[in-house]
Amino acid sequence: MSMERDERASRAGAAAADDRGDKKRSVGRRKQCKFCGDEALKIDYKDQALLKYFITDRGKLVPRRISGNCAKHQREIAVAVRRARMIALMPFAVTGA
Amino acid sequence: MAQVRHGSSRDISGRKREYETIYILRPDITHEAVGLVNTKIRGVIETGGGTLLKVDNWGKRRLAYEVQKQMKGMYLFFSYLGPAGLVEEVERNLRLTDSVIRTYSVKIAENVDPATRASEVTDETFAKAATPRPDEEEIATGQANLRAVFGDDEDGAFDFEEAVFGTDDDGPL
Repeated sequence: MSMERDERASRAGAAAADDRGDKKRSVGRRKQCKFCGDEALKIDYKDQALLKYFITDRGKLVPRRISGNCAKHQREIAVAVRRARMIALMPFAVTGA
Repeated sequence: MAQVRHGSSRDISGRKREYETIYILRPDITHEAVGLVNTKIRGVIETGGGTLLKVDNWGKRRLAYEVQKQMKGMYLFFSYLGPAGLVEEVERNLRLTDSVIRTYSVKIAENVDPATRASEVTDETFAKAATPRPDEEEIATGQANLRAVFGDDEDGAFDFEEAVFGTDDDGPL
């Protein structure tokens, strides 16, 4: 009985250690949506310099968890990138060739 | 000619829609030819009951991918008000023009009162749009803008480390 309890206790201890490890890895503040923070910043499909920040070097859209955008602005970015691709301002895909 | 198209029930009479059309011309086009295409499109917009708001020549830019065997193109930007169906007519005319390699139109707003939107286009600014801006290579690759916004690293390509760990400076972005 007591052995079992010890085991459980040690397991709990191990879990707590894991939690601490996780926390250490994800240190830092949560990213804020740039467009919510700055009203003056407008998402425009013609603004190549701005949109370039939201695609990878392969030409794919950067996910929200990385870019830190809120859902609303991520949708707007996605539409803007699709439009920019239509007028050849942004690539559809960048191949290594 | 295209058939007269009736607007949707959302349209308020006397109001117009705001559109933007961008077209890309062959890079080897002469200034006179650019002027001719612009005049033609202006004519189509004005006879179609539209008002031209802005004309801009972005100059020769590198295309992100090959379009009709071209890797460069001259970008022309038109902003205008017009009734439903005008865009179809504008795009039809552009498609018939050989020097145009790509067109794209976007509706910006609907039910715009034409009186509230002043046109920036005069004959002088219109003629200027036939000649691209100077220093076209810098504008072309976007190098000038990018350097100002993101600093000098890797022509503004997405920086994974910066995105994950953030940057110290709270720059313009």
